[in-house]
Order: sequence, then C-alpha cells, then structure tokens
Amino acid sequence: MEAQSINILQIKISRKWSAWIPLLPLIIFSIGFQIIPVVSLVISSFTGKQGITLVNYQRAFTPFILDAFCNSLRLSITTALLGVVFGAIVAYAIISSPKKYVQDALIALADVTTNFGGAPLAFAFIVTLGSTGIITLVLKSVGIFLYPNFRIYSITGLALAYLYFQLPLMIMLILPSLLGLKKEWWEAAINLGANNLKYWRFVALPILVPSLLSSFFILFANSFGAYATAWTLTGPDVNIVTVQIAALIRGEVQLEIGLADALAVVSLSIVLLCVGGYLWLANRARRSQT
Amino acid sequence: MRMNVFWRSLILTLFLAFMMIPVIATLIFSISTRWDRTLLPEGLTLEWWKKVTTRGAFRLTLRNSFFISLATALALGVLVTPTAYWAHIRFPQSKVIFEIMSALSFGIPGVILALSLIRFYSGIPLPLINTPNILLCACMELSFPFMYRPVANALDSIDVRTLTEASQSLGGSWFQTLLRVILPNITPGVLSGFLLVFSTVFAEFTLTNLLVGARFKTFPIYLVEFTRFDGRQASALAVISFFVAWVVSLLIIWITGKRAIPAGGPVAGR
Repeated sequence: MEAQSINILQIKISRKWSAWIPLLPLIIFSIGFQIIPVVSLVISSFTGKQGITLVNYQRAFTPFILDAFCNSLRLSITTALLGVVFGAIVAYAIISSPKKYVQDALIALADVTTNFGGAPLAFAFIVTLGSTGIITLVLKSVGIFLYPNFRIYSITGLALAYLYFQLPLMIMLILPSLLGLKKEWWEAAINLGANNLKYWRFVALPILVPSLLSSFFILFANSFGAYATAWTLTGPDVNIVTVQIAALIRGEVQLEIGLADALAVVSLSIVLLCVGGYLWLANRARRSQT
Repeated sequence: MRMNVFWRSLILTLFLAFMMIPVIATLIFSISTRWDRTLLPEGLTLEWWKKVTTRGAFRLTLRNSFFISLATALALGVLVTPTAYWAHIRFPQSKVIFEIMSALSFGIPGVILALSLIRFYSGIPLPLINTPNILLCACMELSFPFMYRPVANALDSIDVRTLTEASQSLGGSWFQTLLRVILPNITPGVLSGFLLVFSTVFAEFTLTNLLVGARFKTFPIYLVEFTRFDGRQASALAVISFFVAWVVSLLIIWITGKRAIPAGGPVAGR
C-alpha cells in the first residue's frame, strides 16, 4: 500500500516539468556540442550562395571522390565481414576450451586489444609487415617474397590493420549470444537425429543471426569512421572518405568547405543508418533471448 | 557440441599470434640496435628509449595527454553521475535520451564531429576554436558512452530506490544522498567509467589533430610525427601507448571483475 502511494507520487513528480531541471546541463551540453553543430552542417551542405541547392553534392560526383567512397565501402564491408566470421569462430573456440584459465586469459586479451588502435597500432603493423618488417624478413628467409606484390601501406595492408581491432571487438560482441546457446538444445537436436552440421544449420545459426547481423553493422560503422589508423599507416596514399574530409578541413587541397560538408553528410547518413540498424537488431536479439 | 581439439588449438594459436606478434615485435624493435636486415635483432640497446624520453617534447606531450584525459574524465564524471542518478530515481523515461546520445557519440565519426564543431564555432565569438577548450568538449562528447554505460549499469545493479528512501527518511537531502549513500555503492561503475574515458582520450588522435593541430600537442600526435622521422624512437612511444591501454584495461577488469568494454558502446580513437 505504502509502496504504491510512493510510486504514484513519483510518477506525479516526473510529470512535472521541474523533474527535467537536473537533466538539463548534460542535455544542453550534448545539444550544444553535438546536435546543433551537426544539424548546421547538414543545413549548410544544402545551402549555396542562392539559397537551397544541391550544388555541393553535385561537386562530389567526381571520379576521385566516388573512388574514395568505393574504397571506404569496400574496406568497411570486407573488414566487417571477415571480422564477423573469424571473430565468431574464435569466440566459439574460446568458450569451447575446457580450461577456465585459457578462456579468461583469451577474453582478457580480446578486451585489452579492443582498446588498441590508431597510431600505435598502425606503427606496430609497419614494424611487423613493412618492407623490412619482421614477418617480411622471416618469410623472405624461407623463400617467400611479400614485396613488391603486397604493401602494408596499401588498402590491403589497411584492411589487415583494421582486422586487428575488428576481431577482438567482434569477440566481445558475440560472446554473450554464444554463451546463451543452451546445451539442452544441442542434446535435443542430436536426440531427434540431427548431426552437428544440422544442429548449426537449423538450430544455432538462426538463433545467432540477429546478433551476427547487428555486430556486422557496428563493425562496419567502426571501420567506416576510422581515420587515425589509416592516416598513420598510409598517409594520403590511400583514398578513403575520412582522409579526404580531413584533408579538406586542414585546407591541404583548395579550400572547398561546401564539398567537405556534403561528404560529411553522406558519410554520416551511412554510419547512422548502420548504428540505427544495430540498435534495432540488438533490441530484438535481447528480447528474443529473455 | 565442443569443438574438435585440433581445430580449436589451431584457431586459438593463430588468433594469439595475430594479436601478439605486432605488439611483441614493436617492443623488441624498440630495444634493438638494428633489426631490418637480419632475422634476429643485431644487438640490444636502450639508446632509443633514452633518446626519446629525454626530449623536452616528450614530457610536454605526455603531460598534455594526461591533462586532457584527466580533465575529460573528471568533467564527465561530475556531469554524468548526478544526472544518471536523477534519471534513474525520478525520471526513468528520460533514459532513452541518454541511450540516443550514446549511440550518436559512437556513430558520429571523429572527422565529422571535428568538421561540424569547426564550422559552427568558428563563427561564434567564444574562446573555443583552436584552443584546448574545444578539444575538451569534443572529447567529452566522444567518450560520453564510456562514462554513462558503466554508471547506469552500476545504478541498475543496486536497489537505488530503497537506499534513497532510507536516506531521505533520515533527513538526508538529495545531494547528501547521492554523495554519501549512492556514490559509495556505485564506486566500481564510476571508477571504470573514469578509466575508460581516460584511456580513450589518452589515445585520441583524430580530434586533436583536426581541432587544435600543433597548438596543443598530445602524445599520439607526437608519436605520429616520429613514425615519419625515426622509426626506432617511434616504436618506444608506441610501446608506451600500448602499456597505458593495457594497464587501464587490466585495472578495470580488476576493479569490476568484468570486461572493460561496455557492450554496444565501444571503441574510439580509430
């Protein structure tokens, strides 16, 4: 009875406008440094000297810029796909290890390496797979010459470096879903005459699909927005969207601020679509598991 | 249902090799006299470490990075903790706003956040553009989910309502309740949020590079400069970066007994 009256009281309080007041500093901060600047960026991308216009977007239709978008999309799709597949396989190998300390150590490794990225990571890959990197030297000594066919400073090299943070991220994202697969389901499937392959095809995979798909989205967004790793590893050599936008900001190329706005708005739409897809799917996966 | 032993060992070994070789190679490279012609380092030395750490710029950039990381983590902690508590106890419906804010912070790439801040604030006469102030605000925006998630999770895991009612029935004000009753109960959450923000900002390159450039050099900026100038000294700096990220992650695992990355809101500084 008493609890009920308190609940009613609290609902009344929350309906009052004064309940908003303590939330305002954080909300205003976020509006001031995120919402308004981004919205004004979107507006200015559609604004020219004569009012509303698409001229900024038309200027983006050059082979060079289209190439940047193609490279970014290809890089993001490849590393997200490889990250999802290998990450899920490694995560499954980790949880099926019989030794608890092996599991704990590998999960901790994935956890820590998710935080490795950007400049130090790019440099570590130069040391490992650069033209005089240690793996390059080891392979050379057994008669395999990586260079000049492969270059770490290329988009392939970049994909390899991205995988270094995509893989552990995928492991951390998929672990809860893999741990949610109940042993009884496998036993039931086997008792009903299924083999391992059939169990995966008809029982486990359909359950995992929402988590796999939502992880793909987050890995895609993660790679599409990446800049520091690409800039350190390849500099201006690899033509991807974030590097182009950054070059426009620093004014390295002829100052075309309207073009930067248009590129940013297109990229932002792609990334936010992915984040939205992730949230929607993650929500569904959570509901179906509980 | 368990994986075949052979395949499991193979997969885990390859994974371990892929994750460990670049880090170990960088470490050994930083203490080698020369390691670009022969299979093994030609000799070992601490010269590159000595050279790079005795430079004035080393201490300056390290100090700048510590300062900006600490400031961001403190400011976010002070801003987020009371807000999350209030939202939890008085206004649960408002939590969706913070979830959206988290998603946006994760989704908006650093390059685009930097561009939008420069474009918007360069027309406004506030002491922001080209100063560390704008960097602080941008870093807070970027790492907001790293603070909010652990704090919100910590609040979910304790009985906030009962604690608040007990405190208020004894005459505690809202602020006293937060400081003396709730905060001690969610310390692991606040602390791991603090550490996550710290390590995220410590590794931050994109926003620093584009918002303040050479005016406020941080450790990652210094590292990138060196990669083009002296690889062996750069490798010592990279090892320091890995070490900081590693120590912070282990601290978080140790404090909370759980994984450091909040599911669904990870990673920045790419």
